[in-house]
Amino acid sequence: MPKISVKIDDKDLEVEVGTTVLDVCRANDIDIPTMCHLKGLVDVGACRLCLVEVEGTSKLLPSCTTKVQANQVIHTQTDKLKKYRRMITELFFAERNHVCSVCIANGNCELQDLGYKVGMENVRFPYLFQNCEVDSSHSKFVMDHNRCIMCTRCVRVCSDVEGAHNWGIMNRGYQVRIIADFNVPWGDSTTCTYCGKCVDVCPTGALWNKDATQGSMQKYPQAVSDLVEKREMKS
Amino acid sequence: MSLLDIDERILDVAALADIVKCPLVDGKEFPQVDIALVEGSVTSDEHWHEIQDIRAKSKVLIAFGDCAVTANVTGMRNYFSKDEVFNRSYRDAQSNDGQGQPPDHFTLLKLHDKVVPLHEVVPIDFYIPGCPPEADTIFYVLAEFLNGRIPNLEQERKLKYG
Ligand code: SF4
Ligand code: SF4
Ligand code: SF4
Ligand code: FES
Repeated sequence: MPKISVKIDDKDLEVEVGTTVLDVCRANDIDIPTMCHLKGLVDVGACRLCLVEVEGTSKLLPSCTTKVQANQVIHTQTDKLKKYRRMITELFFAERNHVCSVCIANGNCELQDLGYKVGMENVRFPYLFQNCEVDSSHSKFVMDHNRCIMCTRCVRVCSDVEGAHNWGIMNRGYQVRIIADFNVPWGDSTTCTYCGKCVDVCPTGALWNKDATQGSMQKYPQAVSDLVEKREMKS
Repeated sequence: MSLLDIDERILDVAALADIVKCPLVDGKEFPQVDIALVEGSVTSDEHWHEIQDIRAKSKVLIAFGDCAVTANVTGMRNYFSKDEVFNRSYRDAQSNDGQGQPPDHFTLLKLHDKVVPLHEVVPIDFYIPGCPPEADTIFYVLAEFLNGRIPNLEQERKLKYG
């Protein structure tokens, strides 16, 4: 692979053509918060947390879907970016209902960790307090829309890794929802194979095992990343 | 009451500050104070007046715990209308005898339609989230303020929700 030079946060780097800005940063200990990105899944740029500034472009670009180009100068830790990352995080908390004290994922949650990382001591936007559904119709798993941040990892793992295509997306704006099949209770899905991959990759307490109790749910997104890597090695 | 979780360090706090008002040192009027730690969200007219009063009389007002900072569990009634909540509790709950009616008396506090965190009602100077907040964090914040410094939970990595 041919190499190109880029400069990220004053580091001069030689990187392979076709690499995303995020992958370059991760390989060089440059910390960028992400939520929708998961190694092994196709990146869709849904959460906007990974935005970076590229000199010569007035728009902020999502690093997970932007490929590095020769001689680019990229900034990942500016005050402007930090301000937006904190705002995006607050909007996740304000849009649906995150009651950590009674949540299955309390203490094992990527959204909580994100809040700590961006220094969110409170949410400055008014909470929407939407009445969200909890779908417990599946015999093994529960989908709690109160905790969903629409990262769509579940949708991508179910269609691209498991091949089952159970999950989809319905509506827009704050009414956007993850749906099973053509909007049926998850337990009535004719496509779900009960594999549990969506539960493992979900970063929050939205998807969980029915036998879990408050604060006891552990997720293993890495398991899916490893699985995809092993399959790629075989082929 | 999670203030008492700091155990014997309460004595260090007492050396620097007089605890003039708390659920244990109850008085009629809220006095002028340097620091007020307020737990709980604003759910009614009574809370609303109380927090205005505390704000006016405190130099530093700290929202203390998840209910004060986010509304937490107390905010879960916001997913429904006030009537639905009242009817569910007093009339329709399985444990009721079918005769219940939502209480309505002029001496009772008036519930607001929506429960809100403190900062939606008055300006807040500092937030200590957590359900309950960590004892170490409480002590750190108080010690900083009492020694004339501004605490920083971000830098100290002391944030905790839930
Ligand atoms: S999903 Fe995470 S942030 Fe949301 S309530 Fe559960 S533990 Fe808290
Ligand atoms: S359990 Fe497997 S098949 Fe069923 S929805 Fe989740 S990822 Fe798809
Ligand atoms: S259910 Fe979980 S994985 Fe799916 S979109 Fe919501 S937060 Fe993401
Ligand atoms: S991680 Fe890049 S947009 Fe979500």
